[in-house]
Order: sequence, then C-alpha cells, then structure tokens
Amino acid sequence: MATREELSEFLAGVERRAFKQAVFAVRDESHALDIVQDAMMKIAEKYGDRPAAELPLLFTRILQNVIHDFFRRSKVRSTWVTLFSALTPADDPDADPLETLDASGDARSESTEATYEREQVVAIIEAEVAKLPARQREAFLLRYWEDLDTAETAAAMGCSEGSVKTHCSRATHALAKALRERGVTL
Amino acid sequence: MNQDEFSFRVRQALNEGAEQLDYRTVVRLEQARARALARQRRAGPATVRLPALQLATAGAPPANLGSGAWGWLRGAGLVAPVVALAIGFVAISQWQEELEIQRLAALDFAVLLDEGPLDAYADRGFGELLLAERPANR
Repeated sequence: MATREELSEFLAGVERRAFKQAVFAVRDESHALDIVQDAMMKIAEKYGDRPAAELPLLFTRILQNVIHDFFRRSKVRSTWVTLFSALTPADDPDADPLETLDASGDARSESTEATYEREQVVAIIEAEVAKLPARQREAFLLRYWEDLDTAETAAAMGCSEGSVKTHCSRATHALAKALRERGVTL
Repeated sequence: MNQDEFSFRVRQALNEGAEQLDYRTVVRLEQARARALARQRRAGPATVRLPALQLATAGAPPANLGSGAWGWLRGAGLVAPVVALAIGFVAISQWQEELEIQRLAALDFAVLLDEGPLDAYADRGFGELLLAERPANR
C-alpha cells in the first residue's frame, strides 16, 4: 500500500506534466487545474491504498478519463472553444510566440538571449503539440512523455496497440513538419 | 533524425516547459495535492462478516433463560418474530393469489358476456393471455 509520503512524492512528480497535458487537451489553464485536481482527488480517494508501483498507470488512466469527462460535460462549449482557437489569427502571442521576439534586444547578454530563444522554441513546440488531433496527441504524450510502452498506452487509451503505433507515427510526422515550417530545428 | 531521437528532443522541450510554470499555477497544484492527500484512502481494519440474523447474544456464554414458565416465555419471545415473519409471508402470498384469481375471473366474465372492448380481441397480447389460460381451465 502506498504511504502518504509515497503518494505525495508521486503526485509532486507528475502534477506538472499532468497539468500540461490537460492544457494541451482543453486549452484553458483554469479548467486544466480543475482537471488535475479532480484526477488527484480520485486517485487518492479510490486508489490511495494501492501499491506505489501501480500509481503511474492508474493516474494516467484517471487523468485521461477526467479529460474525456470534461469534454463530455461541456461538449457544446468545447466545440465553440476549439472552433475559435482554430480560427485564432497567428498574431496571438500564445499561438505564435516567435512574434513576441523583441528586435531591440541587443543589450541582452548572450546567455539571456539563448535562454529566451530556448523558451520560445519550447513554447512553439507546446503550441504545435496542442494543435495535434486529440488521439494523436494523447498517444504521443503517453508514449513519449509519460514513457509508457505500447501496450500500456493502448490500455490507457482503450484502443489496440496497432492504433497506438499509427497515432504516434502520424503525430511525430505532423509535429516534425509543423516545426520545420516554423523554422524550428531540434 | 529518426522517430525516437525526435521524440526524445520533443520530450526534453516539454519537460522544460513543465518546469517553467508560473508561480500561481505551481501553488494551485500544491494545494490540489494537499487536498488529495488529506482524502487518501487508507486500508481499513479487516472486515468481519457476521450472519445478518445473528442474535445480539452471539459470542457470549449461553444465555440463562431462566427456569420454569419465565424461561419458556423468554424462549418464545426470541422465536416469535421469526414465526410472525413466516406467517406474514404466507398471508401475503395467499392474498396475491386471491387477487390473481379475481382478476382472471373478471376477465372470463367479460369474455363470456362480450363486455370486453373490441380492441382487446385485436390485441395480440390478449390472445396470448387467453391461450395461456386454456390449459389451466381444462
């Protein structure tokens, strides 16, 4: 059984990634925080007595379920949100962080400039990950960010291993193409 | 760059992004974690199952029901609720059977006197009901 310390350590280790995944999915930080909190409550209340080794996969599945529940509850609203965010012009600083680059940054030190550029690259990657189709993004993040194997990813997503491989491959190619078009080299 | 290398670099970037969360978000995540930990399910004491109708004296030494007439009355007091329950079940069963007989009798009269609605004869379920009754009447 997971002790309180083990559960606390586990949640502290996954909460930021969980939050980011929720943000990618629902595109709203406030809702994403609610989703992560909901997932944390569920794993603590219902599975708090499970062994610590079982927690990662359980939490992954709970988080995906809570995200799906969120979409089910607010289907109409999310449809509009998705529509508007898809139509958001590129001058949105969140959608295109490169445009926030300040041309008058000559006074900055080189290291500061490098850090800033890296932050912009990270922001672009996050924005492009968020633009992936939901299932592709889910598969890509579970497989490559959460480090689940194909079978675990398939179990968490409720689909076949073949589908996971297809989703991951498509996501990788779409992401690489989008980053290349935006001039980002990894 | 192959898929694994590409995904590894994306992963690094995503990790960096997760580390750059603003202070307000980090605090809210910590609060959410604290709330969840406060409600952590703990393994409770082992559940011991007891028969639902076990007497309150179970586990105790055999009760001394006394002697003579009083002892007999106490014994009867323990058995009486069970007997009353059994009688109740039988009575309800009889009552339900009586109601069913009355309902079928009313139906038979209605058919014999042609008082049933015409729609009833067109209803397939009604025909099935009459057929189902036939063996019982023979």
